Amino acid sequence: MTKTPLTRLGRLVSVAALCAGLGLPALAGEISSIAILTPEAGTDYGWNQQGIDGAKAAAAAAGIEAIVAENLGYGDVRPTLRELAEDKPGLIIAHASGYNTAAPEIGAETGVKVAIVDSPDALKANAVADYTASGHEGAYLAGVLAAKMSRSGTVGIVTSGEPPSWNSQSAAFAEGVKATKPDAVIRYAVIGPAAYSDAAGGKRVTESLIAAGADIIFGQGNGSSFGMLQAVETTPAADGGKVLFIDVIGDKSPIDKGFLLSSVLWNLEPVYAAMIADVKNDSFGSHNYGIALKDGSVALLKTPQIPEDVWTQVMAVKDEIVSGKITVTPHFDAESVHALVTGN
Amino acid sequence: MTLFTDTFLIALLAGVVAAGVPLLLAGLGEQLSEKAGVLNVGIEGMMLGGAYLGFYVAWASESTGLGFLAGALGGMTVAALMVLFCVRLGLNQIVIGIALTLGAEGATALLHHVQFSRLYPRLPEVATWRIPGLAEIPIVGPALFDREPVVYLALGLVPAFVWLYRRTHLGLAIQAAGDKPAALDSAGESVLAIRALSVLGCGALVGLGGAFMSIAAAGVFVPFMTHGNGFIGIVLAMLARGRPLWVLLGAALFGACLSAATALQVAGVDIPTDVVQMLPFAAVMAVLLIAGRNAKLPAALGAAYVRGER
Repeated sequence: MTKTPLTRLGRLVSVAALCAGLGLPALAGEISSIAILTPEAGTDYGWNQQGIDGAKAAAAAAGIEAIVAENLGYGDVRPTLRELAEDKPGLIIAHASGYNTAAPEIGAETGVKVAIVDSPDALKANAVADYTASGHEGAYLAGVLAAKMSRSGTVGIVTSGEPPSWNSQSAAFAEGVKATKPDAVIRYAVIGPAAYSDAAGGKRVTESLIAAGADIIFGQGNGSSFGMLQAVETTPAADGGKVLFIDVIGDKSPIDKGFLLSSVLWNLEPVYAAMIADVKNDSFGSHNYGIALKDGSVALLKTPQIPEDVWTQVMAVKDEIVSGKITVTPHFDAESVHALVTGN
Repeated sequence: MTLFTDTFLIALLAGVVAAGVPLLLAGLGEQLSEKAGVLNVGIEGMMLGGAYLGFYVAWASESTGLGFLAGALGGMTVAALMVLFCVRLGLNQIVIGIALTLGAEGATALLHHVQFSRLYPRLPEVATWRIPGLAEIPIVGPALFDREPVVYLALGLVPAFVWLYRRTHLGLAIQAAGDKPAALDSAGESVLAIRALSVLGCGALVGLGGAFMSIAAAGVFVPFMTHGNGFIGIVLAMLARGRPLWVLLGAALFGACLSAATALQVAGVDIPTDVVQMLPFAAVMAVLLIAGRNAKLPAALGAAYVRGER
């Protein structure tokens, strides 16, 4: 049978129509949207808010749409991932350590690239990248600040779990305290396994640390951090004075009642912007992503509780970190944290 | 600095109460429901309902007393759905229970988002009742006998339920609804009414437990804040096998292990945190399994009652 040009054209049109109908992935480099999933609402002055705000800002800068699925909880998010993947976003950001098994699985199933946290070994070309963002340099500064501000010489660390991000910050905070005041006592307690929303547990454990002499609390949690904040607001220190709170990731100043000393601020916009650029360049999955003091993606919050002279001293340490004079090595494992706080 | 000061020990003991009371109320509520034959898997949702409504009313009215009442009402509201679907319509209790929990998680998270997500209001400390004499005992006194009224109510409910189940006609009717509902029906009692009453009572207790978490234990409401306490309450009730005293023991043991875990960590005992945090779950299961091995669950537990159907 002889093939005519018209027949060939007809077949070409049919194949194109079929491809369009099946919704095959866009060509590499073309990206019209990204999606982000978060376990809690993007109004927590912390992890979830920073994630959503960062994704929206990065998407806006790239001229693409950001699809947000928030408040999904800590359970199985596979149905939500599949639903989001149907829209064929250029990237799905699974913004919770609890999602780092399901997201690569659904990514492989649907052909959508995924970004996950707390799983650096999952890196896979054109498929999976990790952004275990660690604010360890900022946490080191927070430790310096805590050591300078503590009246009792005892500071506390409360965390809602021991994911790598929390561990690296706990370890760096302890190093900052010890570098500034070697005889300082550090009390460390974890609320529970993945106790991110356990506000009552956060308050209970923080009260115990205050009773153990801590007058500065370095708290790491999502919803549980509000319980920690409540504890410092309602429990006096051993000397009867105020207990001050150092938060992480977000800025709780708008809801502060005068107990917020500082926060290790994260800005995830540069991270997500780099991911979008890599997706466009077809190099996504070739490396993981992080945050650092030098580019402003990590910073220490200044509040009215910090005297000017102390702030100046802390900023001098910051300059030394940025210049490389002081190196803060991240420790992502819980054993390193335990060794640092116990002095072993 | 010495770690184990009076202040630290008081904080640890107080932590036992703060962690144990919601579990006690959840366990007693679940036990009541189970005795009547309704396996109430939805108590996590009822607890969240109580936590949200209790916190909202305490914040809006500036009255913690009203907040606790509203918490009980919040739990009963979710429990009313359980009554409708499982007791009245006879649908699968496990499926409906899971649906109620998921629904309550979503609803309370949404309400929180609308109402509190920009303000995160925190409540002042709840006023306590100081028991003269006992509150002066060193360490134990301030931790156990200078507490919120709900704590005394929860403890008082334990003997009250023992009396209810052993000494009253209503208690016997509740247990008959779970063991031999047809016999109860033949005796002229309404199985559905007894079961509905039990599930609503369960909702009130569990909701009160949730309100205790948001008003007293945390002083703030955040989404998903019950953090599985309802499910632990189900485990306590199942393992206690109908005995209120064993629910109290389980809740106290769980709270004590949580505080012990904190104490070990604060003291810098160098064992993996996961092992320390496994203690409460392992201890409660071990003790209650050994203690409750000869007891049995109600024969008609989980089965819908339809008159005339065998």
